[in-house]
Amino acid sequence: MSEAITLLAMFKDLEPAAEGVDKLQQLGLNDDDMNVISGIPIKHTILGRPPAITYVSRIGFFGAILGMFLGIFFIYGIPYLYPLLVGGQPIFPVPMGFIITFEMTMLGLMGFSFIGMFVDSGFPSYTPKEYTPEVSDGKIALLFICPASEQEKFINALKDAGAESVAPAEARHL
Amino acid sequence: MATIAKPLARPRAQEHEDPRQYLMHDPLPRGQMNAMVMEAMHTTSPIFWAVTGVLVLIVLFALGYEWYILIMQGQGTAGVLRPDYWGVFLVNTVFWIGISHAGTFISAILRVLKIESRRPFTRAAELMTTFGLVQAGLSIFMHLGRVWLVYWMFPVPNERQIWPVFHSPLMWDLMAITTYLLCSTMYLILPLIPDLAMARDRTEGGWQKPFYRILAIGFRGTEGEWKNLTTAMNIFAFAIIPVMFSVHTIVSWDFAMASRPGWSSTVFGPYFVIGALHSGMAAVAIVLFMLRSTMKHYTYFIRAEHFNTMGMLMLLVSMAWAYFYFNDYLVPWYGGDVWDKLVQEYTEKGPLGYLWYTMLICNIAVPWAFLWNQKWRQTPWLLAIVGLLINVGMYLERFIIIPVGVTINRMPFTWRQYEPRIEVPMTIGTFALFLLLYMLASRLIPLIPVWEVQEGQEAHMIRKIGKAEVSTLSDLE
Repeated sequence: MSEAITLLAMFKDLEPAAEGVDKLQQLGLNDDDMNVISGIPIKHTILGRPPAITYVSRIGFFGAILGMFLGIFFIYGIPYLYPLLVGGQPIFPVPMGFIITFEMTMLGLMGFSFIGMFVDSGFPSYTPKEYTPEVSDGKIALLFICPASEQEKFINALKDAGAESVAPAEARHL
Repeated sequence: MATIAKPLARPRAQEHEDPRQYLMHDPLPRGQMNAMVMEAMHTTSPIFWAVTGVLVLIVLFALGYEWYILIMQGQGTAGVLRPDYWGVFLVNTVFWIGISHAGTFISAILRVLKIESRRPFTRAAELMTTFGLVQAGLSIFMHLGRVWLVYWMFPVPNERQIWPVFHSPLMWDLMAITTYLLCSTMYLILPLIPDLAMARDRTEGGWQKPFYRILAIGFRGTEGEWKNLTTAMNIFAFAIIPVMFSVHTIVSWDFAMASRPGWSSTVFGPYFVIGALHSGMAAVAIVLFMLRSTMKHYTYFIRAEHFNTMGMLMLLVSMAWAYFYFNDYLVPWYGGDVWDKLVQEYTEKGPLGYLWYTMLICNIAVPWAFLWNQKWRQTPWLLAIVGLLINVGMYLERFIIIPVGVTINRMPFTWRQYEPRIEVPMTIGTFALFLLLYMLASRLIPLIPVWEVQEGQEAHMIRKIGKAEVSTLSDLE
């Protein structure tokens, strides 16, 4: 690609936005070179986009395993290190071990899912980014990179699809 | 030849109902909804600040000065004496944990079941969970007495050879409540992020701009960000439900694991969970009424349909509570154990018997009398009063189980009627702190999840089938 430019197209509704994505794909733009910014989550099939990849569930699963082992360590490992004999009771309380193991597993699952959401999304991030506040007012933004020499072609195609505006995207502090 | 088996009812004059009475079918532009929510946050009357000031004074007195007295002079300033070592502080703990269950129930279970009317009030309920658990945690600290030694319960290496005994239900409680508090706080934060980004975008200057900028953590709403957020929310919605059930079950085991008359019951787990939902649902009804009455524009977001949903849930949970209570009552009564019989007789006919009758009236008679009628369920002030009475009943239930229950034990020479002392102002303090936190939160964060409301409105549409217009729902996520 020759010198590239990042453009931001604004759409009022889902239908023209889907049409806009379609136009960009027809013009040969790669799916990786565009992104949809919206005020609500939109199923990828509605816009004709490939599904976004997420690692949150995998990170959460890793957290659950870690939590489970921590729980097992609390309930079975620690009494072995610091034996405390209580009359007639076993040193490893197996049934109540399930309780602690369960709680730690769930804490690990949810804690790591929460952290995973931050890590996978690159949050927190306060560097300048291409964005417009109109998105949180319900509009849909289509952010894409195209060759600077062909930008007119892309702008016209998106306006035909129903874009309210297509302009070079400015990175700004949110 | 008779072709009609039954005579048909005459059609009502007003058979057609306006779909715009439902929030999902009465959409406004997103920008307008954002403006309404932000204006509600920023509109504060002198009454608001006056109430806030009074609450601050109550909190300072009850949770500052009185707690200082309790710490300096010891638990003797409270009404706890043999055999009533467990008093109102633990009643408060169980009560506030119960209140906290509503947030998870409404936000997680209704989300999993895709009950659409949940959308505008999930956050109000989630906040109740977090703030309720704060009160529960404080109440445990009050009960501890020597609060600075709380780390003795933590599994940290130490030289004293004192290690938490995981055989004890109190240790399970610590783990479960900590897990629930952390997870419900994270679950509150996740769906809040897009609304904080909205607040950031609509704030021009002052201290609010950096405040929302920091809290919005750079959220823009890209495909990847939404995917990560909704995936995490789905994991939480499913995972937090068993944690919620486990928490109150474990709270019930604090009592049920003791071989004490009135407590040692195998049904205590589900009975406590239902009791928690009973008080939690009722508290949500009160909060919805207060938000609708005091916050500008909230009549648009919180409507009769939402009170109707809450009313139906309250009625259902009330019936389930009655079933479990009867189950818990009948078995010891039929068993005929002398100590169980004494506990039951003391509860019903003792000097505090009026509490038992009040509890039954508030928890069963009141909801059954008022919540069967749809019109009454849709009347916000009536639902709030029913909610208030249910919470009075549920507080009494915990009071009967804990201090009244421990009065009757297998050593009659220790029997003594419990009378709370410093516990009373400190209990008022927890209620004041809960209200104070809620009022402050209402000015700092959007209590209506606007993006969820818009998502629901986008997904709903009216479709004509035959001669009727029916509501249909598409799956946008």
